[in-house]
Amino acid sequence: MSTATESAGARLVLNIYIGLFVLYLFLPLAVMSAAAFNSFDYPSVTQWQGFTFKWFVALANDQRLLQGLVNSVLVALGVIAVSIPAGLSGALILTRLGERSGTMLYSVLVSPVLTPGIILGISSLIFWREFGVPGGLFVAVMAQSSFIASYAMLLFLARLQRQDRTLEEAALDLGASHLLVFRRITLPFLAPTCFTAAVVAFLQSFENYNTTVFAIGGEWTLVTEIASRLRFGLSPVINVVGVIFVALTLVAAITYVVLKQKPKT
Amino acid sequence: MGSLARAYGRPLASAIAGIAVIWVLVLILVPLGAMVEQSLWWRESKGDISLTIDRLYNDISLIELDREVETDPAKKTAFDQSLAEKQAAIATLEAQETNPPKSYGLANFTRMSGLHFYIFVRTIFYALLVTALALVVCYPVAYVVALASGPRKAIILMVALIVPYAINELLRVYAWLMILDYRGVINGVLQWMGFIDLDAREWIPFLENPSAVFLAMIYTYVLFMVFPMVNTLETLDRNQIEAARDLGASTFRIHRRVIIPHAKPGIAVGCIMTFMLSAGSYSVPAIMTRGQGGDWFSQLVYRQFYESNNWNMGSAYAVSLLVVCTAFILLMMRLFGVGLRDIAK
Repeated sequence: MSTATESAGARLVLNIYIGLFVLYLFLPLAVMSAAAFNSFDYPSVTQWQGFTFKWFVALANDQRLLQGLVNSVLVALGVIAVSIPAGLSGALILTRLGERSGTMLYSVLVSPVLTPGIILGISSLIFWREFGVPGGLFVAVMAQSSFIASYAMLLFLARLQRQDRTLEEAALDLGASHLLVFRRITLPFLAPTCFTAAVVAFLQSFENYNTTVFAIGGEWTLVTEIASRLRFGLSPVINVVGVIFVALTLVAAITYVVLKQKPKT
Repeated sequence: MGSLARAYGRPLASAIAGIAVIWVLVLILVPLGAMVEQSLWWRESKGDISLTIDRLYNDISLIELDREVETDPAKKTAFDQSLAEKQAAIATLEAQETNPPKSYGLANFTRMSGLHFYIFVRTIFYALLVTALALVVCYPVAYVVALASGPRKAIILMVALIVPYAINELLRVYAWLMILDYRGVINGVLQWMGFIDLDAREWIPFLENPSAVFLAMIYTYVLFMVFPMVNTLETLDRNQIEAARDLGASTFRIHRRVIIPHAKPGIAVGCIMTFMLSAGSYSVPAIMTRGQGGDWFSQLVYRQFYESNNWNMGSAYAVSLLVVCTAFILLMMRLFGVGLRDIAK
């Protein structure tokens, strides 16, 4: 009874449609992954010259890509350090503000999410040059944080809406200091969201290209390095990076499904 | 502000407010202001300044020659004086040459060349087209995921959508690059079927066609349309659909009068995200065309910054893009009657 009201024919058409859509999503990724194991110099699945792991070895010896990976992690950690406190503060203020004055602040704090990424990169680049800071990892952290903090804030806001404020008030009435209440009640309540927000921030930062490419200047992250390689030609080493991404995502997704289904059975 | 202090105490409240103020100012508003300011001025570099300077140097050399052979001390001081004047003139002109004065105005916007303006309009047009197509393609998907399947199937479908969504944008573009390249998958299959011969360079140049960018862009951003719609559709009470059906409404009518009105905020968010991402996308066109196909506006912006080194012009381009995106957001909010709070959920 969970399915809606379509006739059998309509349901068949819908199912075929969804099947085609999922195929459309996955086929290119499958092609990309398969080519990583082809020993042909050019990433291809149609000209198959034998199964190989040599491109994995090539990736492990690629200093620039490895340095890019390190840079990506550094930037992502920087983004977490900036955007979690910022997002948390924004959310705490917004939950205490009235409807009217809140809306104004809310619009400003959410606007980076709705701004094209290249604009955020450009404005940070210009802003920090005024202080003599050229494009680089630091500016990339600042540019990414401007919108990732907004995502963190939205997560905190959703959590705070379910908060039982009487707990904090009771603790205050019983003589606890404000700091103690914040440390013992508010923060523990928000701790799971802090974790989620940190994961989201890390992934968003790690994946980001459009903002980073403007803010990064002469330095590079894994993603900007991949992009600049692609402009000169295709190499199966990039496919290996792709395979690793696909594998990690699949593992995470399957874990998620298993965890989500467990309580029900 | 008062209630914040009451809840967390004055020191903590000031710390929270301080962090938020820094966020708003240092990360959002002032950088934006700096970009707008940068777009509103330029430095006039007149070509004739260097000519004038050269001429002055010539004059000085001539005067110095005359002064060498001159014996009358009165005339010699006159020469010295004119030498000093010319050198002072050179100094001010050279200062202007290396650091020309700023002029403020809208010239960076009006000076956009015809070709660039055409690319600007074309980018907006393509982005609208991507948005419209994504909406049509995604509506049935969102409907099935949210309403027309059991909870178990819905989870599996959700994961099937999240996995490609979570994979890096560049890699998704790269997959299409592999497929459409000269020696890519499609040309490979065509050769295998005997239609073309790659060794004789008989490939079909898909990448040189602007629709390659279009295709990859839909692939890259289509899921940003699905998830907001699924989110809103999930909150629809299925009994409403049952009731409408019992009352004799056709499937088309149920969608038009019950489901789509309920999905409005999701549709608005999906359209805004898809439009914003595709209009401002740098990754997809930069990788897909590799400088061969038509340009996307973001590529022009990038070149103004990193190739022409004209940050003023580049900022003006960026501001133009921002204005269009903001206008689109306001239009969608008006059209679908949703507020900002509905959007960012």
